[in-house]
Amino acid sequence: MDSKLYLAENVLNERRPVTYRLLSRALKVHANRAKQILFEFHRNENAKKPQTVHATYVISGIQKAPEPAPTNGHADDEDEMMQSSPYLPSSMPNQDVTSDSIRTASIVLAREEDLEDAKSTFQSISTIHVYSLQPTALPDLNVLVDANREILSTHGQEDPLECGKQWGMIQNRNVKRRTGARPPPPAAPAVKAQGAKTSKPSTESTVPAKRPLQKEASPAKTEATKSDEPKSEPSSAANSQTSSKPSGKAAPAKQKGNLFSSFAKAKPKTKTSVPAEPAAPSAEDVVLDDASEEEAEELFPDSTDTVAAATRENRKEREDKLKKMMDDDDDDDEADDEDMPDADDEPREPTPVEQPPPSKPAELKEEVTVQGGRRRGKRQVMKKKTVKDEEGYLVTREEATWESFSEDEPVPKKKPAVNVPKAKAGKAAGQGNIMSFFGKK
Amino acid sequence: MAPDAENYTFLCPPSKEEQEQEPVYRTPSNYNPRLTFHLPAGAGRHYQQQYDDMYFLRLAKLKPTVEQVATDAWDGLTIAGEKVRRVDRVLDVRQGELCWVAGTVYMHLPMKPNILEDLSKENFTSAPPPLRTYTDPSDPSLTQIMLEDESGRLRLTGNFLQSTQLATGAIIAALGTENANGDFEVIDIKLPDLAPQLQRWNGNAPETGVEKEHGKIAFVSGLGITGTSSDTLALDLLTDYLLGYTGFSGHGDNSPSLGSSKISRLVIAGNSLGASVIGDVASANSGEAAAKNAQPKKYGYDASAYNASPITQLDNFLAEILPSIPVTLMPGEKDPANFSLPQQGIHRTMFPQARAYSAPPVRGDEKPEAGWFDSVTNPWDGDVEGWRLWGCSGQNVDDVLRYISIEGGNSTPDEEKDSDARIRIMEAMLRWRCGVPTAPDTIWSYPYQSDDPYVIESCPHIFFVGNQPQFKTATIEGDVPLRLDGDTEMTGTADGSDAARVRLLALPKFSETGELILVDTETLEVEVVKFGVFKGQEEQK
Repeated sequence: MDSKLYLAENVLNERRPVTYRLLSRALKVHANRAKQILFEFHRNENAKKPQTVHATYVISGIQKAPEPAPTNGHADDEDEMMQSSPYLPSSMPNQDVTSDSIRTASIVLAREEDLEDAKSTFQSISTIHVYSLQPTALPDLNVLVDANREILSTHGQEDPLECGKQWGMIQNRNVKRRTGARPPPPAAPAVKAQGAKTSKPSTESTVPAKRPLQKEASPAKTEATKSDEPKSEPSSAANSQTSSKPSGKAAPAKQKGNLFSSFAKAKPKTKTSVPAEPAAPSAEDVVLDDASEEEAEELFPDSTDTVAAATRENRKEREDKLKKMMDDDDDDDEADDEDMPDADDEPREPTPVEQPPPSKPAELKEEVTVQGGRRRGKRQVMKKKTVKDEEGYLVTREEATWESFSEDEPVPKKKPAVNVPKAKAGKAAGQGNIMSFFGKK
Repeated sequence: MAPDAENYTFLCPPSKEEQEQEPVYRTPSNYNPRLTFHLPAGAGRHYQQQYDDMYFLRLAKLKPTVEQVATDAWDGLTIAGEKVRRVDRVLDVRQGELCWVAGTVYMHLPMKPNILEDLSKENFTSAPPPLRTYTDPSDPSLTQIMLEDESGRLRLTGNFLQSTQLATGAIIAALGTENANGDFEVIDIKLPDLAPQLQRWNGNAPETGVEKEHGKIAFVSGLGITGTSSDTLALDLLTDYLLGYTGFSGHGDNSPSLGSSKISRLVIAGNSLGASVIGDVASANSGEAAAKNAQPKKYGYDASAYNASPITQLDNFLAEILPSIPVTLMPGEKDPANFSLPQQGIHRTMFPQARAYSAPPVRGDEKPEAGWFDSVTNPWDGDVEGWRLWGCSGQNVDDVLRYISIEGGNSTPDEEKDSDARIRIMEAMLRWRCGVPTAPDTIWSYPYQSDDPYVIESCPHIFFVGNQPQFKTATIEGDVPLRLDGDTEMTGTADGSDAARVRLLALPKFSETGELILVDTETLEVEVVKFGVFKGQEEQK
């Protein structure tokens, strides 16, 4: 890009400060050249029309010592001799504390208006260069910090190890950087996610729901952009696909313990039916742009994730059973505990990973809507119900029930009202009978 | 308006054709951190032990040394016709007998925090409130200095003590007599003095031409990043300087010694974060906050109660300079690490960007390798460019200073006097051979059981302390030719002719002074680079 155009656009039109480093990054030129470009622009514009562009300068050199210099007051060496040190017995000879006069160099940022004043405080100046240009004189120089932060957000993706030479950074031959996914700069994920959303509106609602799947699908990343099919599908169809996808992948065991989503837990590990449509994988791949966060986590991969997830599943079931047995009044806080950090501290059972839970029916669905940044929806989960049947036995059955959830606020989940009274009534009756039985004896 | 440009390279229009700039390469760094203060992780760390083990170990380590020093000085000495006698235990001191004894100093000060007092008042504070001093200037008599060993305690008195400064935990030998009150009248004391110092490179310098080059080690402390825009302009200038964008360019015609390409390593000595700003995150970086809100909630993380901005800015700063310069980061009082010494390194997960440069996580019992970005303990010691460094983020000096009665009561002491006192404390620590004497008494400390790592067994070449009010440096020497025989025995590998020389550095807070300290790797000479903003007329109004 033409440097003058860039500066005119940013400084004159958008009225933003531009520092030499921002210019250097934007135009991909050496920092020293950027300083000169700024200087030229400043001179030319002000020649056309004075006071249109204001500059700040960096002066480096040796400053004159202020009279009672706090940092430079090492002039009189007598003071520094430690002969009278209060810590040490005077009999200790040869202690010798000398203090040298310290060379103090200064690097000072000054406004254009103050430049001459600033220069007059220097004893010798080694360099002066333009630091930034802005349309008006800055009352507060700290505004420039934001300009520098902009470098990070807009140019943070460029690898400093590769581009550093171009910018004029001091190179180091010995840099050790670990391989592995480079974590994105702070602003990047938001930008990315936005991009993904705007480009694929029809799949938007499925984006959050699919997060847990991203990891396992990452090898297929390259295919992501090839297929256009999912775009043409209505979002509800995409939703139902979501739930059937794991079976299509035929890799339930690979579903890693993804702590970041409660969806993974809500889904059953094995699915029995529903052959995957051919389009399914690609629909899933669409969201892979969003995978940056997961990749960052992969920097320190944990091989026990899979097992942990599996045991968590089992544990959850056991917990449910336990709760039923305890006749817990509020049995509605189950799924969310799973996110507790101590989950891994629990003793792990040596249950085989692949073993499917005995009585899980085919399909669990979920509906997700995105509203104001929150994901709300309903999903189908398996609930255990214990009822007394006609012959007086307690029978435990699993039933698919719907529960609503909201991703942002993990409030206790509501069960359909039908369930609660039924289960309670059954249990209460049974236990009451037992107690009265014992009481009679 | 434009300055007369012709004298300066950058104040001229760019030349038409873009000339290829010669890349500048940084002086390589030779780095070997030591794990003296590295605590075992997880289950290996116990807090049930009693602290007396530390005092016992310290005394056991240093008593032979100080007794040797004292024997050399006082053996055969006669005062007023009475021969000086050596006593092994403090309880064996007999009244009226001229003798000397070695032990640990314990100081009883009126304002010293006392855990028993807190408990009896049911006043459970999480951290002791910072006091300026533990002494009571209005009544100096409340201060009691005692000498103790495993047998008991002996109260020290005498005018001599007024001319000496001591702190709890120092090991000394005291000469005197017990008076009628049962107090020990001190005439003279002896310290262990400087520990034996290894030669640079431990005697075997690498063959490469590293030695010829004058490199620099850069020290900075108290970056005090608060995450608001008000604190980072000097930091930006520092970044630019370290990366070679600004200031004294690497071409070296102006001031060759200040070219930042000579800086082979940056040591950050604590308090990289300023006081954390609770609450108003949203205004500072609403974009980031929004991005965080979009993520599902994790483990009670609450953006309204926790401000991630300071650590994010620190991470950005580190990630920016790491491609060019290796960094050693020590935690400090205000950093997100454990509070008690030795503070363990700030965990790498706090630095999502900079951690790519850190060493890979340690598996099992492997010895961790030194990372390009090394998040180390506080205090910390290690070898940089062959020199032994020993540093702390400032708690040790700050705390010993509280043992010293400051003239003038609560009024702020004269700055010059204050920094003098601080550098003297640093010297005293080296002569006590104990880097953190007041731990575990008034500095919280891990209860070491089998070793007291605060004892300085090998005298460093550079002894630095961070977060001091102003920069101060001095060189001390430990060579004492009068007792050469004792010396040769003690200095071990060091040449008898080579006196131990230590460069003391009291590092200022960068957030207040904007000062970066450079130490020459050949001469150990010190330079200061000061970053700042010129306060123009507008701001002065």
